[in-house]
Amino acid sequence: MKLAYIIGRLISAIPTIIILTLFVFIAIHMVPGDVIDIMLGTQNFLSEEQMQELYVKYGLDKPVAVQYLVWLKNMVTGDLGTSIRTGEKVTSMIAQKFPVTFELAFLSIIFSIIIGIPFGIISAVKKNTKTDYSIRFLGLIGLSAPVFWIGSLLIVFISGTFVNYTLFGFVPFIQEPLKNLQVMLVPAITLGLMVAAQIMRMSRNSMLDVLSQEYIKVAYAKGVSKRKIIMKHALRNALIPVVTIAGIQLGYLIGGTIIIEKMFALPGMGRLLLQAVNQRDYPVVQGIVTFIGVMIILINILVDILYSVIDPRIDLN
Amino acid sequence: MKKNLVISIFLVLFIAISVFGVNYGGTLNYAIATEAVGLDPNLVTAFASFRILENVYDTLLKYDESMNIVPGLAESYEIVDPTTIVFTIRDGVKFHDGTPLTVDDVAFTFERILDENYGSPAASNFAEIESIKIIGDNKIEFKLKISMMNALLPNFTSGNTAIVSKAFVEGGANMQLETNGTGPFYISDYKAGNYIELKKNENYYEEGLPYLDGIKFHIIPEEISRVSAIRNGDVDLASLDEPTSVGMLAGNYKVFKQPVLNYYLLGINTAVKPLDDPKVRQAISYALNRENIIKMVAFGEGTVTGPMNPTVTAWALPPEDFAIYDTNIEKAKELLTEAGYPNGIEFSITCSAQYSFDKIAQVIQAQLAEAGIKVNIDLVEWGIFIDKWKKVDFDSFVSLNGGAVEPDKQFYRTFYSTGSTNKFNFSNEKADELLDAGRETVEYEKRKEIYDEFQKLIVDESPIIFLYCSNNIYAGQKSVEGFKTMSNGSLTFLREVWLNK
Amino acid sequence: MSSEYRKFKRKFLKNPLNIICSLIFIFFLLVAFFPSFFAPYNPLTMDPDSFMSPPSSQHWFGTDQFGRDILSRIIYGVQGSLFIASMAIVFASIAGTIIGSVSGYFGGAVDNIIMRFIDAMFAFPSIILALFIIALFGATIRNLIIAIGIIYIPIFSRTIRGSAISIKQNLYIVSARSIGKKSSKIILTDIIPNISSIFIVSFTTNFSTAILSEASLGFLGLGVPPPYPTLGRMVGDGNNFLLSAPWITLFPGLIIAVIVLSINIVGDGLRDTLDPKN
Repeated sequence: MKLAYIIGRLISAIPTIIILTLFVFIAIHMVPGDVIDIMLGTQNFLSEEQMQELYVKYGLDKPVAVQYLVWLKNMVTGDLGTSIRTGEKVTSMIAQKFPVTFELAFLSIIFSIIIGIPFGIISAVKKNTKTDYSIRFLGLIGLSAPVFWIGSLLIVFISGTFVNYTLFGFVPFIQEPLKNLQVMLVPAITLGLMVAAQIMRMSRNSMLDVLSQEYIKVAYAKGVSKRKIIMKHALRNALIPVVTIAGIQLGYLIGGTIIIEKMFALPGMGRLLLQAVNQRDYPVVQGIVTFIGVMIILINILVDILYSVIDPRIDLN
Repeated sequence: MKKNLVISIFLVLFIAISVFGVNYGGTLNYAIATEAVGLDPNLVTAFASFRILENVYDTLLKYDESMNIVPGLAESYEIVDPTTIVFTIRDGVKFHDGTPLTVDDVAFTFERILDENYGSPAASNFAEIESIKIIGDNKIEFKLKISMMNALLPNFTSGNTAIVSKAFVEGGANMQLETNGTGPFYISDYKAGNYIELKKNENYYEEGLPYLDGIKFHIIPEEISRVSAIRNGDVDLASLDEPTSVGMLAGNYKVFKQPVLNYYLLGINTAVKPLDDPKVRQAISYALNRENIIKMVAFGEGTVTGPMNPTVTAWALPPEDFAIYDTNIEKAKELLTEAGYPNGIEFSITCSAQYSFDKIAQVIQAQLAEAGIKVNIDLVEWGIFIDKWKKVDFDSFVSLNGGAVEPDKQFYRTFYSTGSTNKFNFSNEKADELLDAGRETVEYEKRKEIYDEFQKLIVDESPIIFLYCSNNIYAGQKSVEGFKTMSNGSLTFLREVWLNK
Repeated sequence: MSSEYRKFKRKFLKNPLNIICSLIFIFFLLVAFFPSFFAPYNPLTMDPDSFMSPPSSQHWFGTDQFGRDILSRIIYGVQGSLFIASMAIVFASIAGTIIGSVSGYFGGAVDNIIMRFIDAMFAFPSIILALFIIALFGATIRNLIIAIGIIYIPIFSRTIRGSAISIKQNLYIVSARSIGKKSSKIILTDIIPNISSIFIVSFTTNFSTAILSEASLGFLGLGVPPPYPTLGRMVGDGNNFLLSAPWITLFPGLIIAVIVLSINIVGDGLRDTLDPKN
């Protein structure tokens, strides 16, 4: 049954991906200024014929519809083409950048869970008290300021206060785990503050829901201690919807780290995408947007499956 | 003669001291804002690519610190007659892969540049070449269709004419990703979006250079992040955009300021009304206060410029020579009335949000408003800006042009009626005549006269309103020694940097 | 109706935070409607003799790179930002409500097709989507509104669709359908009025994030054409001077935080009050 559900979900993802790739293709080709023009900039000394040669060389002389079909055909076989600007394979560019973005998104989610869940629970248990209000107020602050603004404040604060703290100079985790974590910590917190507020809100609401359930009331009536009720009975059920939010946020962050990557000079996929759009490097833009789309869809399906695993009451059908 | 001897002794002593006082080794961490876009020296156009490649590849000729042309991979050159030049290629130079540099590689490089299917931006610089011929073991001869040696020579210093290895290219290397040069460093590791790491070339032909074991260029796009990286010691040296950042670093760090040849301009489409009338363009110039633009946009770090930057080139006429550089609102209004616009005019400035273009446009907008000129700012993304520039789809635009010390390079393609970067619909017979004459004249005094006249003409006509040249700003740790800046923005002197640690 | 309203009012006003934040928000609305009343200077006037001057008695929040008074620019910036964010959300909520209720009400193939489009929009990195729209149509206020609006259409569509589906099961709608009431009429008279509380809540939360979206775009240089101020553009432009002249970016940033925070708290308050579970 479950397998059939997963297959169904995967099949329904196909039209979404095709629509997505069509969106990108049309958009990037409609925007004025093409890859060759931008490559040559305002110091362009080439003649019309020389320009034409370049278009032919990169297959850009064909109609856009044909270019799309060729791209789609190659995509199905796992070939995302090569960058027009650097000649590098798009798949290898993604393979290099995706781990950085994923790590950033993942660490942000971890941070936001560590902060968000306990405070959300406390807030729910102490509903409508001063503690509840102050936690909610503080939480909302994280949602209320532009992320790049918080990021720059942190950069300036840390570089001025902790003079020896390494903020820049990303290295992969497997090479130097400690330095990697040090460099990733501040950006992950910056991004995580925003998500923490949402996780906190979700934990609070869902905890409140659970606490108002019949079986909790029965437990109270039986004289089970409040602490035990919350830890043993309520917590597990309250955390289920939080998993969904965390999953959805993870997917969202994979496409939403552009500004933080730029701010903290992290070599991630978001910055590559922004750069590729600015340069109209068509294969790179198409490749990354498609990849992000596939990742988001896969994560959503995974979350749904996880959801049914931890909560047997939920029937995927 | 005696005097020369004294100077020579001093020079030798000086070099000896400076060499013995140097520490070898260490890696310099350098923060740059923008990433190299491609690594093929004969193909790239991005400034960011050149900054890396000029440390990896060499050219036949090069500039010294004061922008004099000196030998590079060519140990000498001889101008045989006004249309013939012969280069003698240096002996014993090796590519990074260990193969020796030969005259074949030089010939191959120029064939590559001139190949029409290849699209090298340098090709048009050599459009007047008639033939390239190898003569003897280490000599190569360039023959020109017309006499223009003075104008041609600087082209051999351009990063786009860096010499590549014939065997390497023909072996199928992807030149945009792989490098094999003769320069003081080779690229040992490149993590796009993160860093480019250069290591010392042990076989470099200049004795004793480079001092460093390596350079690691960190790509840090945000200004505030680059300043912070200097402050907490993550990097040793950084290129900065905002002169105000310097205030935060002064005292504890070294700061370098360098006037550059690149000039900011207001380019005008001289075919649209009301900007088609030179009087209107002069009125705009009268209404501007260039000092205040420099003050507010570049915080004083810049110089008002005429058609050439007076602080870096001997060819330039000082801005004081041009009447229309004096801010004079009354005069501007008068000129507008004479041109038939007593109630003022309205036009738009197209610009993008990089290199402070949008900021300059805002100041121009505010200044011109005082003379009854209404300016609309059309802020577009960079790619769209280039598209509009190419199609001449604008009233006017703010931009930054690469400048040169050689007047022909500075003016010809920008102001000649058929020039490739003349996007102003500017066509003036007198200007074309002067440009042709300047190109073919050899004698300095005569050329100077021609270009003086040209500069006056171009300011009167004002298809471009020249604004200012800014200063490049660099900041570094106290331990960074021997860093020299150049007016063309080049980082080629990183080979002489050493760390006093 | 009026007793329900009174109950709502009592409940909402019970929390002092709700009152304070509503007042703050109303204050900023006043600022947005009558900026010329509040602003001490013309926000566009440059002064080359006092640029980047720190806060003083003449310029409470200092001046920017061009000597423009930051307080006055913030006041006009509040107008710009609130106008852009609110119009974007009005646009997105109308489009999203139509799409969501049609999709939820009809279900089946219609729902399937619409939702595949919505999924695709969701999977598109939002900043890049906005960048495309602004690049394509030019950086004008109208296009900025459309660009931000489009980011929020899928969010509204999904939320509204969810409630439309649950409302559809209600007896009165089932019976309305059985007596042959037209679909368009059911959507307009039965579905949309019954999702108003969900609508109000998601309107407020998305309104506050739309203000932040405008700021992010301003940071990437994709804001309104200069010299007109919005808070986002001011924060973005001043970011380079965070070390040398922090007031340029700090004050507009703080004002954004205060506005967004007050909207968020009011939104939370509304959610609590409107939520039937409480």
